Amino acid sequence: MEAYPLAPVVLTDFIGSALMIVLSCACVRYAFLLRRARPANVLWTYLLAFSLALAAFSVSRGVGHLVGQLLSFAGKGDVWKALLPYSGAVNTLMFVVVGSITLFFQRVQIINREILNDKRDLEKASSEVIRLNRDLQSLVEARTRQLSASEVRYRALFEGSIDVVFIVDDTGRFEDLNQAGVRTLGYESPEELIGVLSLKDVFVKERDYDALAYQLRTHGFVRDRECLLMSRNGDEILVLLGMSAKAPDAHVKGGYHGIAKDITARKRMERQLQRADRLASLGQISAGIAHEINNPLGIILGYAQLIMRGCDKGTQGYEDVRTIERQAQNCRRIVGDLLKFARAADTRKTVVNVNQCLRDLLALLARQFESAGIMVEARLDPELPAVVGDTDKIKQVFMNLLVNAKQAITGSGRIGIETAHDVESGQICVIISDTGVGIPEDLADKVFDPFFTTKPVGEGTGLGLSVSYGIIHDHGGTIELNSEVGKGTVFTIQLPARVDESAKNG
Amino acid sequence: MPPAILGVLLAPGRVWALQVHPEPEGLIAHQLAHLFFATTMAVLAYWLHVNRFVRERGWRLIQISCLLFLLWNIGAFAGHWAAAHLPDDIFVGEPGSLSRKVLSGQSVWVLPYLIFHLDHLICVPAILCLLLGIRSLYVKVLDEDGAGF
Ligand SMILES: Nc1ncnc2c1ncn2[C@@H]1O[C@H](COP(=O)(O)OP(=O)(O)OP(=O)(O)O)[C@@H](O)[C@H]1O
Ligand SMILES: [Mg+2]
Repeated sequence: MEAYPLAPVVLTDFIGSALMIVLSCACVRYAFLLRRARPANVLWTYLLAFSLALAAFSVSRGVGHLVGQLLSFAGKGDVWKALLPYSGAVNTLMFVVVGSITLFFQRVQIINREILNDKRDLEKASSEVIRLNRDLQSLVEARTRQLSASEVRYRALFEGSIDVVFIVDDTGRFEDLNQAGVRTLGYESPEELIGVLSLKDVFVKERDYDALAYQLRTHGFVRDRECLLMSRNGDEILVLLGMSAKAPDAHVKGGYHGIAKDITARKRMERQLQRADRLASLGQISAGIAHEINNPLGIILGYAQLIMRGCDKGTQGYEDVRTIERQAQNCRRIVGDLLKFARAADTRKTVVNVNQCLRDLLALLARQFESAGIMVEARLDPELPAVVGDTDKIKQVFMNLLVNAKQAITGSGRIGIETAHDVESGQICVIISDTGVGIPEDLADKVFDPFFTTKPVGEGTGLGLSVSYGIIHDHGGTIELNSEVGKGTVFTIQLPARVDESAKNG
Repeated sequence: MPPAILGVLLAPGRVWALQVHPEPEGLIAHQLAHLFFATTMAVLAYWLHVNRFVRERGWRLIQISCLLFLLWNIGAFAGHWAAAHLPDDIFVGEPGSLSRKVLSGQSVWVLPYLIFHLDHLICVPAILCLLLGIRSLYVKVLDEDGAGF
């Protein structure tokens, strides 16, 4: 009977089993290395598990074959027979394990992919966060730079302003104030004001401040309000004030910004200009009238004198005509004054020593003042330069002022006369002050008007100051008054000093 | 059929003409495990393909290994099948010696038995492919690390 040798099968089995063990162990090794290199990757864990299961299978099956083969060769088939079922059971188990792992592999891989995706997203997000952070940092730096540049710019604007710029809190206390503000209010440094004083403290009139505060509370702003402020040394400063709430809807809380423009000088100038304007037109009218009256007056005077010559002294007729002549002379004097005020009268200009003029007048008036109980204090600058002008007219100005001063003083008082030279402006200054009744503020503008007087009829014509004004202006100077009711009046005259002589003296 | 299977727990055992009295559920479990193994290999091979893993050399080798294991399982299954149909007295010669033979002509299952018992010719290449695949993946990982520094 024909038979096939089993040797090829046995040999393949033998060699194959050995190879399977070796190769599966190598698989385990590489899978292990792989997993160690990438512990987080679940794929390699799977491969390791797969390899391990295969290796277990190979070993159990291979060892079964090898040992079985060897035992058979050794004639110990019985032992082998007892071991066989175990080897077979392990093989079965390993098939199931490998299969199960494999089936799970798909699921695991899906989860793994999601984990990897999440990780990538996370990394992307975190790098995005880092980038944003860096961007933010540089953004903040740039912003800070811009801010400080802007701060410098606005500081310069704030400090450089020639107007008073300030910030107050909602109680009116100064929070900040620029240099111009400090200077205008007569202080040395902002620290003396900031946090110490409030707006109310620098207002002259509390009423003004209350009105301002009310308007700020109700409207949140004020615009172009004229306010009188008081500087540290007591000077009054007229300012044009604009204020607004820091935040548009913070009428009540948060404080205010404000800008104040010092308009004291401008206001004074305006007033002077107005007065000059008015007096100039009055002067024109007066000059016209005076001129027209002068001729008939001359004729009246001429005929009166003619008649007088034909009358005997002592008769009634003579006395009557004399009265006419006297009143006509009076009229002529007034007309002459009017013409002087209108600067229509001619002036003979010579070099005038102002100090000397004042001394002459004082000598003349000394007795009168003394008997009226008026003390005269004269402080004349010995270095005073001369002025160019009409001595008589200048004397007349001083005379008018001194007489007014005397008339203003009831009872005893004091009259001050002072001369000074302001080298810078090239002006000499004559100040005549008294401790008289003073001039109310609302009349201060009118006293220079012709025929303005507060004195009873016959005592004053109201031409004294207008004539003086006309004369001083004719000499290129100015006359100003400063008065306080009950305390006294100060008249300040400025005249241009004679240039070449002052240069020689200097 | 079950009585035929009864005789076969392990094919190699039968080679030595040892009379075993295997439990039938042992063989059935073993055969089912082969089928299960085969199925999962098919699933993995398909899955590697669908998910484009095979574009990588390592995974391609592992896929080939899967297919070889699939074949092997089928072969092993058939081998057990054939062995279960062989009568016990068909093997002649000294048990445990290389001169042992199987008588032909007594059963149609002899030839399939012999052929399918050369299963190592498939499973050794299969595990070799697996090894090469894993190694390739490992080398790639090493390269990545090397490139990383
Ligand atoms: N020193 C002074 N103190 C107070 N009031 C003054 C002073 N000087 C002038 N006045 C006021 O100014 C008015 C005008 O003065 P002004 O010298 O022009 O006229 P008058 O003195 O009234 O008359 P006249 O000088 O022609 O005799 C005065 O009526 C007086 O009310
Ligand atoms: Mg007078």
